[in-house]
Amino acid sequence: MPLVELKNVSKRFGKVVASSNINLRIEDGEYITILGPSGCGKTTLIRMIAGILEPSEGQVLIDGKDMIGTPIEERDIGYVFQNIALFPHLNALENVSYGPIVKNLTEGERHNVSNQYLNLVNLLDRMKMFPSDLSGGEQQKVALARTLASGSKLLLLDEPLSALDARVRVDLRYELRRITKNLGLTVLHVTHDQEEAMTVSDRIVLMRRGRIVESDTPEMMYRAPKELFTANFIGETNLLDGVVVSSGIERSLIELRDGSIVEAQPGEFDPGDLVVISVRPENVRATDEGLNSTIRSISFMGTYLRITAEADSEDILGFDVHVARGMDFNVGDTVSLGWVMESALVYPKPPGGIAEAVKLE
Amino acid sequence: MPSVTLLGIVKRYSDVTAANGLNLTVNDGEYLCLLGPTGAGKTTVLRIIAGLTTPDQGRVLFDGRDVTSLDPEERSAVLLSQTYCLFPTMTVADNVLFGPEIREIPEADKEQMLVSLLDMVRLSERANSYPKELSGGMQQRCALARAIATSPDVLLLDEPLRALDARLRIDLRRELKSLARTLGLTVIHVTHDQDEALVMADRIAILRAGKILQVGTPAEVFNEPESPFVANFVGQSNFFTGKLVNSTPTGAEIEDDDGRRVRARATSLPIGSKVVLAVKVGQTHILKREVTPLKGRIERILFEGRVVHVDVDIEGVGRFSSKIPVRRRGRYNVGDEVGIGWNRNKAKIFPYPENGLEDELKVD
Repeated sequence: MPLVELKNVSKRFGKVVASSNINLRIEDGEYITILGPSGCGKTTLIRMIAGILEPSEGQVLIDGKDMIGTPIEERDIGYVFQNIALFPHLNALENVSYGPIVKNLTEGERHNVSNQYLNLVNLLDRMKMFPSDLSGGEQQKVALARTLASGSKLLLLDEPLSALDARVRVDLRYELRRITKNLGLTVLHVTHDQEEAMTVSDRIVLMRRGRIVESDTPEMMYRAPKELFTANFIGETNLLDGVVVSSGIERSLIELRDGSIVEAQPGEFDPGDLVVISVRPENVRATDEGLNSTIRSISFMGTYLRITAEADSEDILGFDVHVARGMDFNVGDTVSLGWVMESALVYPKPPGGIAEAVKLE
Repeated sequence: MPSVTLLGIVKRYSDVTAANGLNLTVNDGEYLCLLGPTGAGKTTVLRIIAGLTTPDQGRVLFDGRDVTSLDPEERSAVLLSQTYCLFPTMTVADNVLFGPEIREIPEADKEQMLVSLLDMVRLSERANSYPKELSGGMQQRCALARAIATSPDVLLLDEPLRALDARLRIDLRRELKSLARTLGLTVIHVTHDQDEALVMADRIAILRAGKILQVGTPAEVFNEPESPFVANFVGQSNFFTGKLVNSTPTGAEIEDDDGRRVRARATSLPIGSKVVLAVKVGQTHILKREVTPLKGRIERILFEGRVVHVDVDIEGVGRFSSKIPVRRRGRYNVGDEVGIGWNRNKAKIFPYPENGLEDELKVD
């Protein structure tokens, strides 16, 4: 059963360090996403597992066996690319039959296996159609079926949905998880899309500048991120500059730049420490006694409105209100904003500043 | 800045009709998003407005003036295409300031413009880099800055944020919109991403198979869809098919073959007609089994951050989805027996589509 381990893996291209001392263990049957901005090294990482690239240092183990020197075709890995690559002159069924392992079977077996996997992606009724007659989403499903038909228990997905329309992407990500879980596969899925990562994976590995920032379940990454970068990258958040007044086991009190005092989660800070508060827009609400703020813009988001306001402390606060309450808010209005203590997380202020710590590139 | 009007635009290629009688007016200074799935004909519309494609029929007006036969450079409309091209031997700054209009601007103003443009597209630190040293997303932002720098009256954007990382895209949406507003540009922005359109547009035009299905503000298009397709494409919807059995000025009821009866807003459709009800996923609620005819089991619960997505398999009907606040998630587990329902004012009734519901809803 495939269990993937990376031990102290680094990869350099000339002076550029694409991966820096990566340690990662992926359990059998786990669905992992490697998430991060462009250039963070996520594709390099997956390619080292596939055997397309060799690490400069460190070990890649699959099922406990050191894979260094083993070429991709001997690693028993399924690989799905961002760019959908089907044979244009073969129909959907033939494309699935043409997978590297499948094509060595007898004709009868090959037909059965191809049918089975095309059925798995719900495309049996399209088996005679050529790629040019299939939609983008259908083409990617055929490519997935072809890869799955090889029977590999380890599946690597390199931005498999990013060539598709937003709406198709949403439908297909549910399918990806359902299919791979049914087959009990171990999946490594590379993406830059935090929403995609949250909905498909058992665990997210967030990367930045060649390093793993943090790794946890989607829920923990969203609700209790350990790093400021994570708080901002996974979901949207408000970041406020402050100084610790007191910090104990029940709560922290933080003074903002205009002298107002707000509550946040408890922490081990000393009075006077420079900190950053992170509070998500859905947790900020208009209250009677809160931060005095002026509404700058209002965006319609469908079932809710995202309102952006500037507090007297010069911090920008986004908050969400139900559409039905939208009439109560106008650009230029002053509003008092607050949150429940538990939803405000506190981080030490990064030495290079907030902007640098959350920068996406 | 001009308004842009399309009158009866038709464009056929050998086997596809990319524009099938399009009528659209984009107001002076308006930010309009042209939203539709791949292959809807969005890019063709932009190219016709820019003058890069000649329509088979119909006219293009800028401020009421017929420009249909004018060359692209006579129109003061700039198209930022998906396949833009930067000059590889020039730095980011030189690329941005390349346009002929800019060369006549005084040095000091040019410098000022460059600073604000690079700041907007987050490339201030890369002013002296060459295109090959930039990521795909950076290159696209550089091309965007160059397009804006030519100070066009009409800015035509073909999926300007597509190559960007998802997270960066969210940040740049608001900035691009506010920049366009500050400059007073008339913008037509093509996208396949309904969230992007909702956040950015003053009005959205929904395009499908060469036809405009609906034009309206984000709230109108979301709350008052004119077809099941729009109901589903802009914010996902659940559907229930049945016969209209009761209709009063305050509401309507529809019933399916198994006698399940659900409620919706008032409709002018005739009693007895086959109809389909649409209700947004975000306005669909999970209820106790006893209080609703739609009973089923929770088949999937997905954490999405702000909300939790719950799929319920309704016996004999199919899947209904709901979004619930994270704080209420603890109440539900996969396998739970629940019901599904909605506020009748959030459910809209449409005539059952001629070619079936599946065909009507196809987004791909």
